[in-house]
Amino acid sequence: MNTVRIWFEKRGEAAYISLLDLQRVMHRALKRSGLPVWYTKGFNPHIYLAFSCPLALGQESLCESCEVKTEEESPNYDAWAEALRPALPEGLRLVSIGPAVMKMGRIQAADYTITLPADAAQALDAYNAQQSVLVEKKTKSGKKQLDLKQYIPSVSYTVKENQASFAIRLPAGDALNLNPALLVGYLQEQYGLPAWQCHILRTRIYAEDGREFR
Amino acid sequence: MPTNREDPRTMNAAEVQQALKQVLMEVQKPARYTGGEFNSVIKDADKMDVRFAFCFPDTYEIGMSFLGEKILYELLNRHENWWCERAFMPWTDMKAQMEAHNVPLYTLESKTPLSQFDIIGFTLEYELCYTNILAMLRLSGIPLRAEDRDESWPLIIAGGPCVCNAEPMADFFDVMQLGEGEQMLQDICAAVEEGKKQGLNKQQLLEKLAGIPGVYIPSFYDVTYLPDGRIDSVRPNNPHAPEKITKAIVKDLDTFVPPENFIVPMIGAVQDRACVEVLRGCVRGCRFCQAGQIYRPFRERSPKLISDSARALCRNTGYDELSLTSLSTSDHSQLEEVLDRLNAWAEADHVSLSLPSLRVDNFSQSLVEKTTKVRKSGLTFAAEAGTQRLRDVINKNVTWEQIERTCTIAFREGYTSVKLYFMMGLPTETLEDIKGIADTAQKVVDLYYSLDHAKGKGVQVTISVACFVPKPDTPFQFCAQDRRETLREKQKYLLSCVHSRKIKVNYHDSATSVLEGVFAKGDRRLGRVIEMAFENGAFFDTWEEYFDYDRWLAAFQACGIDPDFYNYREIALDEVTPWAHLDVGVSQAFLAREYQKALRAETTQPCNRQCSGCGANKLLGGPCFEYSKDLV
Ligand code: SF4
Repeated sequence: MNTVRIWFEKRGEAAYISLLDLQRVMHRALKRSGLPVWYTKGFNPHIYLAFSCPLALGQESLCESCEVKTEEESPNYDAWAEALRPALPEGLRLVSIGPAVMKMGRIQAADYTITLPADAAQALDAYNAQQSVLVEKKTKSGKKQLDLKQYIPSVSYTVKENQASFAIRLPAGDALNLNPALLVGYLQEQYGLPAWQCHILRTRIYAEDGREFR
Repeated sequence: MPTNREDPRTMNAAEVQQALKQVLMEVQKPARYTGGEFNSVIKDADKMDVRFAFCFPDTYEIGMSFLGEKILYELLNRHENWWCERAFMPWTDMKAQMEAHNVPLYTLESKTPLSQFDIIGFTLEYELCYTNILAMLRLSGIPLRAEDRDESWPLIIAGGPCVCNAEPMADFFDVMQLGEGEQMLQDICAAVEEGKKQGLNKQQLLEKLAGIPGVYIPSFYDVTYLPDGRIDSVRPNNPHAPEKITKAIVKDLDTFVPPENFIVPMIGAVQDRACVEVLRGCVRGCRFCQAGQIYRPFRERSPKLISDSARALCRNTGYDELSLTSLSTSDHSQLEEVLDRLNAWAEADHVSLSLPSLRVDNFSQSLVEKTTKVRKSGLTFAAEAGTQRLRDVINKNVTWEQIERTCTIAFREGYTSVKLYFMMGLPTETLEDIKGIADTAQKVVDLYYSLDHAKGKGVQVTISVACFVPKPDTPFQFCAQDRRETLREKQKYLLSCVHSRKIKVNYHDSATSVLEGVFAKGDRRLGRVIEMAFENGAFFDTWEEYFDYDRWLAAFQACGIDPDFYNYREIALDEVTPWAHLDVGVSQAFLAREYQKALRAETTQPCNRQCSGCGANKLLGGPCFEYSKDLV
């Protein structure tokens, strides 16, 4: 049995597909593709499908991934890609398909590019000048206070064409997973940035050893 | 594209798209409003001759569950120069956002505002969605009343079962379609395409459309009333309009391939699975059932087409659940062959079958096996009435022996939950019939424990009771609806008759069914009431949390109309009904005959056994069945 990792983009209006819906969307896309994916056994068999570190609703990504299994000895991944690409709906663009090299549990961090309206520059300067920035993070066991500065000491942004943008790296592992919306939400709240002009794009995912997750 | 008018909400598709970025951040379930689903159709707007917006006056999740829209979406989009797109009623949060940001109602495919379409088609699926239609027009900046719209506005048309008496909505629609849309809607679009090229004005276009079978132009008819408020006559006022509009049907279902490319919603629709319509109409003739009358005559699709289409559909959508739909799937004369064909590929394709409307009386051992190979769910029976006498009155030819036989098979197969559907408020109903509901459920419980198997698991019997609403074009159209007080007493009595914890009673009594009764049998004068209630804030009336009965009562009062006149009054057998000029096939004489038989508790044979001369066969131009063949 081989484990196969599917990489895809989630952009534009596809950003509004929730994780629960995404599972269904991918399940059906795989079914449409006719690929020899492995079905779970039992009374109600379904395609084995596991998503790693899902994105929050409304955020975009260049590097979403999910795993399927197959009984094919040596899958022809080019052929797989060809079959799956046209079966995906708008906004979910296939990036690549290949063997799952690492276990999903190894995911530790992710890069994000944040784009804000240009007048957010002041807000970002103010953020950089703060000693600590306390925000509330929702966890399974309730709310928890956390100092953003501990994870994002400062941001170095550039302003271009009415937009301020910057990149950050945040923990994305099982033990700690920080949603970039914590920072963006804080900026919106404190400095009145309109939410719809703030974009979050995930660009990369890393394993615990600092290598790119594969 | 309309020109000679001031559109209060001028936005083009690109502007809508831009505005949505902001709006969608503020609403729940934004995926309802984005489109982009697999199999949704995108075309080049500049190359289109007809732009059609298919509107469903309820939420996305509900609208996306209806088969009619899927059928017509595929048929219209097969024309290269026509583009059929979709719009749904936005939920209240989205509606508020759209109003706040001046975003007009738009179609999901191209984000084009509705006011820029050639035709806007609404599905009239149930009476309580009427205010949503007005809300959708208002969100589009389109005048509500047909008389206030010239040819610069889209043609506003209606289709769906409620057109069989859509008189309460007559003021708002330019065109209504009585019957099945497969051919009719294509004819309408073709006429509009031609009309645009010829530069016809609205009147000329309507006159052209009036000649299409099944098309009803409400403004071409004058209604006169008697001093007591009943209708005196309904007469055409235009030479192009026929005396009576005859329902359009597809004579041979095999001439239209069922839709094989359903749009696959990203967010779960209410019915989110593949389904194939196996037959149309119903042979049974239950006297309370409007669908059973207005979809006559009975027609079947051939097993091969059903199976081939179902397989293509599952492959094109990725659905892993397939249901066969119709009013009464097990009445398909070749159902076993249908199931054999489906079972030949379903398992290998990882598709499970479900048959939603199995009937008690021909539910056999092999059928149970064929449908439960993959999944075993609860068993449901529509017994409808609690005593044999009342079942005879309503012509629901189900006997206790049949229920017993079926439950025995099912219990042996491992089923442990049974749901029994009943109605309350049926004509001639007495407390004895109400008690019969509880007794039937108790007998099912007792039956389970009398069989010597799996005693430990226990059985759950659910009684689900709905309020009966008399509908037009049924033998019970002549009856008055039960008042709410009466229904409440009957409900209390039912609860007092249930003595087992294995029996659960679901009962739903609501003012919505009163209004449903009023609109179902209403006439044109109700248009003002609907408009006033809407202007006073009514919409989403199907949703209990938004339904405000007092607002409706106030609207009736302000318009000087007594709602009781419509639903709490018996109609004389020879009265001119508001829908008398809308001919769905069954004759008034047949309905009257059936009503009288009902009062004598006499049953009528199903169509496939004996024709009872309802008149619907004229739509086929011959008999419905070859009785010489052994059909039953
Ligand atoms: S004409 Fe006869 S067989 Fe045909 S639908 Fe009517 S009653 Fe049934």
